[in-house]
Amino acid sequence: MSRYAFSLKAVGLTHGNGSIALGSISLKADPGEHIALIGPSGAGKTTLLRILGAALKPSCGDCLLLDQDPWQLPPRGLQRLRQRIGTVHQAAPIPGRQRAVTAVLAGRLGQWPLWKGLLSLLYPMDISGARSALARLDIADKLFSRCDRLSGGQLQRVGIARVLYQSPELVLADEPVSSLDPTLARQSLQVLCADAMARHTTLVASLHAVDLALQHFPRIIGLKDGAVLFDLPASEVSEDLLHTLYGNESYHEA
Amino acid sequence: MRDPASTGRISGLLLACLIAWPLLQQAQVHPAVLLEPGNLKVIGHFLQAFLPPEHGREFLDLLFTATLETLAIATVGMALAFILAVPMAFLSSRALSTADIGPGPGGYREAFLRLTIRGLHTLLRGIPELVWALVFVRIFGLGPAAGVLALGLTYGGMLAKVYGEILESTERAPVRALLMAGSKPLVACLYGLLPLCGRELTSYTVYRWECAVRASVVMGFVGAGGLGQLMDQAMKMLNGGEAATILLTFLLLVLAADGLSSALRAWINSSGKIESPAGFGLQGGLFMMALLAAISFSFRGLELNFTDLFSADAGHQFMDFWLAFLPPDSNPEWLARVGQGTVKTLAISAVGTAFAVIFGGLLALPAASSRRNPLRATTRFLLNALRSVPELVWATIAALAAGLGPFAGAIALGLHTSGVLGRLFAEALENAPTGPKLALQAAGTGRLLAFLYGTLPEALPQCIAYILYRWEMNIRMAAVLGFVGAGGLGQLLYVELSLFHQAQASTVIIAMLLLSIAVDQASAWLRQRLVK
Repeated sequence: MSRYAFSLKAVGLTHGNGSIALGSISLKADPGEHIALIGPSGAGKTTLLRILGAALKPSCGDCLLLDQDPWQLPPRGLQRLRQRIGTVHQAAPIPGRQRAVTAVLAGRLGQWPLWKGLLSLLYPMDISGARSALARLDIADKLFSRCDRLSGGQLQRVGIARVLYQSPELVLADEPVSSLDPTLARQSLQVLCADAMARHTTLVASLHAVDLALQHFPRIIGLKDGAVLFDLPASEVSEDLLHTLYGNESYHEA
Repeated sequence: MRDPASTGRISGLLLACLIAWPLLQQAQVHPAVLLEPGNLKVIGHFLQAFLPPEHGREFLDLLFTATLETLAIATVGMALAFILAVPMAFLSSRALSTADIGPGPGGYREAFLRLTIRGLHTLLRGIPELVWALVFVRIFGLGPAAGVLALGLTYGGMLAKVYGEILESTERAPVRALLMAGSKPLVACLYGLLPLCGRELTSYTVYRWECAVRASVVMGFVGAGGLGQLMDQAMKMLNGGEAATILLTFLLLVLAADGLSSALRAWINSSGKIESPAGFGLQGGLFMMALLAAISFSFRGLELNFTDLFSADAGHQFMDFWLAFLPPDSNPEWLARVGQGTVKTLAISAVGTAFAVIFGGLLALPAASSRRNPLRATTRFLLNALRSVPELVWATIAALAAGLGPFAGAIALGLHTSGVLGRLFAEALENAPTGPKLALQAAGTGRLLAFLYGTLPEALPQCIAYILYRWEMNIRMAAVLGFVGAGGLGQLLYVELSLFHQAQASTVIIAMLLLSIAVDQASAWLRQRLVK
């Protein structure tokens, strides 16, 4: 078990054109923590999640993910570290012509030996595994459907099922439920949280819906203009703080 | 739980094997002959002579003249095609039908005229240009005239078809309004259709000119002038040095035509949009003048003497020659041989295309790499080199390595098509969305699997469409590869025409025509089914 799920010290990201996406951020999370990232659009939530996913190299600062510095690792090591981190994307990055079963199984391609990955293109190698992941999101009946025949909400849930199937130690979610209706959004978040709870893994999700964040996550981080505005238990996040975070726009409508 | 798709996949695989086996047999694929000492020696000597390429003054002069001649054949041939295609497209397109507006008089007459003209251009483009050239050489003698006429007829048919399609797919409301207000179809076309689709028509014409350059390169193999004639001689004398120089010229010529055509098309598509006023403008005027100058120079350079060609004396010979084609030989024995030739032609095209899918696919992977590295540059150059050498030329070279016969034809098709498909595959892969692949890589998936699960499914429909399209072209090409001894229908035709057996040749030409029409229909049907 890792000491920290992640630990960032003065991490920042400046784009090539000089614009600052993330100031100097220091954050730590224990294994098993559930954290929600909130903040207005352009606050740096996605950038932070990408850094936590070892998909983006910060331009400064120290970054430890699951006790390893991804950017000091050799390519094989980085690949192995990435297998232990799973990301639910805002729009499921799944080719339309792929079937749901293949899309879900793709979650473990990093862990499978090459031959298994190749063979699975011809015949899905773990149908029951994919099926049970989909069943947790109520779409087991879509197991053999092509993804371009699914609705937006179903496709998003296939994306979540892929990460469940990957069963990573650190789960990152970038607006995982923004394309779902309120009931489905709640249910899907519950599935993600329950899975993290059961496997004692860390979950970091960025959310637009503040009420969902406060309901499901014990720790809330407010990001604004690339900096941490607050990092508090959910119970201590006040209306005033939220007003400061979202500025003039009403967060209820956000 | 079982995958419901598995039955279909397994039976598909079995079916593919069942079909592939006889195809390989028919195309006489014996990779071992490539390694036979005798063949290795011949091709080895030939390739050794490549260095240094021939660069004697005299030869370069010849080469320069032949290159100009090739370009001139393409240009005059295109001009002729254009003159043929415009009235055919105008008369055969539904877009200008007045009877369509309401149940007016003359509807049947119009429909009959359209059908006749469509039949005519199907006939013109269904017979490969090299077959026309081979026939015309028999009538007009050796020289560029046969090449020009052959290109003119085939490309006239193709242009007419595509022009008609473009006219029909253009927004119909403006031209309808004009027709309903009683204007004549020609005027309605100029005011209501051309302003909308003129750009597309021009762009397609330029693209066809590029194809015509490639086609005229090989006209010389049947004696119709240009670079092909030089190449034919060099190959017959096994002169590797000359062959190397000519191949380099092909590469330059094809790349230059490619570059010129894409630059022109980019210019056509960008000009006259917002900044410049509508109409031709100065640039357009200059372009037209340059075009006319190029055509008239080409025309004069070729020293075509049409009055001689169409004199009364020639007319008689001409009629006698044509009449001998009728009736086609329908002797069952001959029909059986033509049938065999057709099967062989299909087999050559299928095997060649399959080889190209594999080889071109392998080359496309490094060529589509997002990082600019030497490997990417090398494979891109290799792809260009492969496709710049026409199939017919590859066939003469392949015949040295594998002996005369269908196998050489399949290799030739495979090499040329690898170049074409490799480039198209690379483009399709580059245009595929990168999100799925990057997401998989971010979850620790290796590069190969991320490509197979993330990129390939996105690019596959495009690639399949390209494969079908090229296979269709390869069937037509396989029909003429026999001119240089690579088996199939072409060989039958070449032999019969050399013996002045027009009736037998006529049967072969009809078989080619039917094959071409069948392929047209089949590929349209397949494309609809597979590319969804």
